Amino acid sequence: MKKQGSVRLPPKLSADSGNEPSLQGIWSGTVSFSLVAIPVHLIRAVEPGRVSFRLLHSKDYSPLLRRMVCPDEEKIVPPDEIIRGYEIGSGKHLLITDEELESVSPERSRTIEIIEFIDMEGVDPIYYDHPYYLIPSKGGEKSYSLLAEVMRRTNKAGLAKFVLGEREYLVAVKSTAGALSLITLHYSDEILPDNDIAPEEARVESAEKDRMKKVIREMIAEFKPDKYANDRRKKILDLLKKKVKEKVPVEAPEVEEEGGEGPADLIAMLQQSMRKVKKKR
Amino acid sequence: MAGRAIWKGFIHFGGFDVPVKLHTAVREERIQFHLLHVRDQVRLKQQLVCAYEKVPVPPEEQTKGFESEKGRYILIDPEELEQVEPEDSRTIEVHEFVKTERIDPLFFERVYYLEPDTRTTGYGTLAAAMREMDAAGICTWAMRKRSYIGALSISGKTLRLNTLRYADEVIPVTSLDLERISLSEKELKIGSDLINQMAAPFQPQKFENEHLKKLQGLIDKKARGEKIAILRPRRVKPTSSDKLLEALEASLRKVA
Repeated sequence: MKKQGSVRLPPKLSADSGNEPSLQGIWSGTVSFSLVAIPVHLIRAVEPGRVSFRLLHSKDYSPLLRRMVCPDEEKIVPPDEIIRGYEIGSGKHLLITDEELESVSPERSRTIEIIEFIDMEGVDPIYYDHPYYLIPSKGGEKSYSLLAEVMRRTNKAGLAKFVLGEREYLVAVKSTAGALSLITLHYSDEILPDNDIAPEEARVESAEKDRMKKVIREMIAEFKPDKYANDRRKKILDLLKKKVKEKVPVEAPEVEEEGGEGPADLIAMLQQSMRKVKKKR
Repeated sequence: MAGRAIWKGFIHFGGFDVPVKLHTAVREERIQFHLLHVRDQVRLKQQLVCAYEKVPVPPEEQTKGFESEKGRYILIDPEELEQVEPEDSRTIEVHEFVKTERIDPLFFERVYYLEPDTRTTGYGTLAAAMREMDAAGICTWAMRKRSYIGALSISGKTLRLNTLRYADEVIPVTSLDLERISLSEKELKIGSDLINQMAAPFQPQKFENEHLKKLQGLIDKKARGEKIAILRPRRVKPTSSDKLLEALEASLRKVA
């Protein structure tokens, strides 16, 4: 368990830090619809691609971590010594505590209350912001399964607002392969107008349009995201294959607590990529 | 007014080239806070620190490595890294067309508006063709030293480009280890009825970011030196499994 400090970082910050275990909860609370309440944890649904580099200290090969540092003392500041400030003049701040922040919308800070159910197909993808998963807390497994299953059957998603840290999110809770996913949505006034983007009276070349439509028709397919293996990933794996042969890996000094993400199993990943290459032939 | 153009390229497919410029399509509004040291109220900086020595590490002492097994790293030189970075190309290559609703929302990342870059007819023609075919183009391109996968779509008269996440960036549901729970047909039937009763069209304009105004109100109050009343967050009692059917029935009576 991580120590709970006086400042909870917004989910994007903690999701991007890159060294937290992927299934660590960002938030815990309740999802409710009408009189049904489901205890849940919010966890991330995306993580940086598996093949990524770690930044290391060149002196001792210890991995680097992102931490808040006091510039006067050049020292790491523990979470319980950090407070949020709103700048009112140069260097002058109003201090805002988590409790005060939570008091702004207390009814929404621990509950994701579904107000209505919508057709997800009716949501313009421009509204999608960031995806998460919800997983049931102890005792919530049954009502969780029920909500996931009935939303799958009715092809609907729940619309809710909830507050996390400094922000209030408009979210869609939907069923994804038996699980509940939560997608934060942009507010409509965050969507920039597009009326000055395309010309008012766009000219259409009708013979060319027919040729384009013919090509589009020939190129219709089912979306299979796996097909687009990251090119970079392949190149990195090739590079690593080469390096494994010529260089002995360096060893990082052991550090108590604060373990990084589990080690990426290079050999397994190489084998997997080889299989994929073979399959393609 | 949409943001200024951030990149230029050509949409390329089946012998067609349509020159476009990318514009940001979304601007988030938020109140900016700083993180301070509680003792002296000095503004803190986020820095990279050595996990072992616990001290900030300057850029010249940073190096990159790949963890081959726990605690062991293969060091990579910056020149070698350059080899794996994609070369910038100006081509947004469309590989196939799909139904937009077949793309799982979990994959959508960022969205851009596409502006025609020349006064030719390509843009308007492509927009019309895609509208009539009701399809989105799955495409790849490289910009700012990164390779992207994206979905090209049409909305109104504007072409849009959504960046998509790579398949290995989306955590699969199977890794969540969810328990399979059996549900009775009655529970499922009442649950479905309840959802249908609570159904509404998606009207985003209905939802304002009220919190933003309230938060500004709190800051103004503090600035005037007023005390903030601390309100405890509302906690809802979870519905226990044996009370689920009861709660569903009561809900349905309430909304019907």
